[in-house]
Amino acid sequence: MRFNKKITALTMALLLVILTLAACGGGSNKEASNSPSGSAQSSAPASQPASPSGSGDTATKLTGDFEIQYFVGGFGDKWWKKVIADFQAANPDLKIKQSAGPKINDQNKPRWIGGNPPDFVYIDGAGINDRQMVEDDLLEDLTDWIKTAKNIDGELITDLLAQPPQQYDGKTFNIPLVLNSWGVFWDKKLFADKGWTEPTDFNSFMEVSEKIKADGVTPFIHTGKYPYYINGAILFPAIVAANNNDYSILQDMAANKVEAFEKPAVLTALNKIVQMRDKGFIDKASIQINHTDSQMLFLQHKDAFIPNGLWLPNEMSKDIPEGFDFGFIPSITHDAGGKVVANTSTATVAVAKKGKNKEAAKAFLQFIFSKAQASQWAELSGAPSNIKGDISSSNAPNFVKDAAKYLTDANTVVVPTITYNADVDKAMMDATDALTIKTITPEEWVKRVTDVVKKASK
Amino acid sequence: MSTGTVKRHRNVFIISFIVPTFLFFCVFTIYPVLQALYYSLFDWSGMSETKDFVGLGNFTEMFNDPIVWRAIGNDYFLVAGKVIGIMIIATFFAVALTRFKFRMAGFFRSIFFIPNVISVVVIGVLWNFIYNPQIGFLNGFLSLFTESKVDITWLGFPQHTIWMLLPPSIWAGIGFYMILMIAAIQNIPASYYEAANIEGAGQWTQFRRITVPLIWEQMKVSILNIMMTTLNGSFVIVWIMTEGGPDNTTQVMGSYLYQMAFRQYHFGFGAAIGVLILALSLITTVVLQRLMRHESVELS
Repeated sequence: MRFNKKITALTMALLLVILTLAACGGGSNKEASNSPSGSAQSSAPASQPASPSGSGDTATKLTGDFEIQYFVGGFGDKWWKKVIADFQAANPDLKIKQSAGPKINDQNKPRWIGGNPPDFVYIDGAGINDRQMVEDDLLEDLTDWIKTAKNIDGELITDLLAQPPQQYDGKTFNIPLVLNSWGVFWDKKLFADKGWTEPTDFNSFMEVSEKIKADGVTPFIHTGKYPYYINGAILFPAIVAANNNDYSILQDMAANKVEAFEKPAVLTALNKIVQMRDKGFIDKASIQINHTDSQMLFLQHKDAFIPNGLWLPNEMSKDIPEGFDFGFIPSITHDAGGKVVANTSTATVAVAKKGKNKEAAKAFLQFIFSKAQASQWAELSGAPSNIKGDISSSNAPNFVKDAAKYLTDANTVVVPTITYNADVDKAMMDATDALTIKTITPEEWVKRVTDVVKKASK
Repeated sequence: MSTGTVKRHRNVFIISFIVPTFLFFCVFTIYPVLQALYYSLFDWSGMSETKDFVGLGNFTEMFNDPIVWRAIGNDYFLVAGKVIGIMIIATFFAVALTRFKFRMAGFFRSIFFIPNVISVVVIGVLWNFIYNPQIGFLNGFLSLFTESKVDITWLGFPQHTIWMLLPPSIWAGIGFYMILMIAAIQNIPASYYEAANIEGAGQWTQFRRITVPLIWEQMKVSILNIMMTTLNGSFVIVWIMTEGGPDNTTQVMGSYLYQMAFRQYHFGFGAAIGVLILALSLITTVVLQRLMRHESVELS
């Protein structure tokens, strides 16, 4: 019996040692991957660094490995494959590696944690957040570079951007690649058949909704499971409109400034949602359904309006009934005669701070932000690109061309993409949901959200 | 061979089985638990290279977070609801299928077991459809009896939406525990019931005096198992059906863990919730075992 105990004790001791060693092993692995020589994928940086100002000097030869991480979602990967092939052709000595897929953000996470990230990253999809990456110090500071960076055609990149990059304490870390807009959709054909007027502002929206309701159709559906749809397409444009079309209020909200949330514009905007709710325009089903279900109900004409992004027609392309003709307006909450507010939603690109071939990454930025890519992106991904360029002659879908027209119109306030603090964003979503089912008042919305802002900005 | 050698051989034999198992247990259970404990002491986004040590900061914050308390409440509500619901229905079916022998027993046994074969994800999607206010089965069915169309938002009540997650959870769990009870009941010698019959005991008395005491061990195991799988696994059904919404009313500890760790980038806080789940599971197991200990009856 004593012998038994001894053996057990010995085994336990042995195991403890093994476990400790295993734990140490994990740590040393991490360290190893931190150092450039520790990983098989890393290699010496480009032997000939490009000019630091990024003047678009394409004569500089790029060599070494260059890794691009891109998420494959609603926009597909056709454009990425094409542009990477073109970039490879232009730089034959560069060894380009693509890390891509719908799960790439999660798959590559350990490498970002371990300090061995890819050189270039496209920030889109679940599991990746630009603001968080900036806070985690994972992205290269592009503030000075972007000021003078020219693309391969010798044009200043900042001149080509339809919307400027988001600023974090005055610094630039990521550049918007896609220009998408939130807004409200309807079916033009249904409206024509029923004799409903297409809305141009809040009043006309409320008037036609009254009529739609009287005709037995619910005017408005959204996805309560993902309330960022109604926030992005209704609430945020409404706040900007109520703030004399000055979108700096949203930027202040994103910078966790409590006073921005307490401005009267926020209450005015929330009260517009309350009006829609109290008139019974919001489909009761909204609160519990996901985006797909809400979109299906909209396509089945159970509801007349839906807040969504420009990707909607692409996303639902298989289920769109014959004759369905998408009408779109970026905002419905501005007053008659006021400007339309387009709250853009985008996906950005950035260079990893710990990337091993930053020169190639910057050269790739100079390559993709060119006019030729504007049409190519619109054609291959079905969404407007953030590069100013005439896409009217391209093969892009009609609603993309229409939206692009809206976004370049002088009568539209284009709100650059703003990423909120994740805690604040969640609090706003929950509060808006609660507001639509009457469990809180607009004042309580503000109170709730500012409480979270105060905590998050600590 | 001396007794010493025999003993040694025996020990080597035993160790050759225990050590690999124990090793796997350490690597896949103990190590992650320790890691979670470790991470719960840090303020870490889950992607950053640096972690800030905050001691018990995450735990203090956790206990000051009203959503955590609601999640704990919801979890225990599900535990209680599932234990009561599953045990009553599973036992009823088991007794019905064994004691009241009828022709279709085998068929019904299979039917009741089917939900157990279906993935929880499918169950969630299926019940989402049942509960859909516009095109769902439940409202469609109720509308047959009313003049105007029923449009109840089953998963969108301002409060108590968690009640609606009970039926799918119970429905999904019955089959397995029913099989467990059936096996237990079939182990009871038929002579006990015959004797009881002769003594003039009715079905109800037989159930109360013979069946329940003799399957109590299995019932105990079932109750503990329901409790543990609910505390650890209620995440799936919640995440598929409501993602904790609307407005966090259906949040359970697992879903809030996921929300905080992967959606709001507070990995340390998420790990702290993980530790809380572990602690509560252990405490509840001990408490339940104590509560149910004295009532087991040995089949002699």
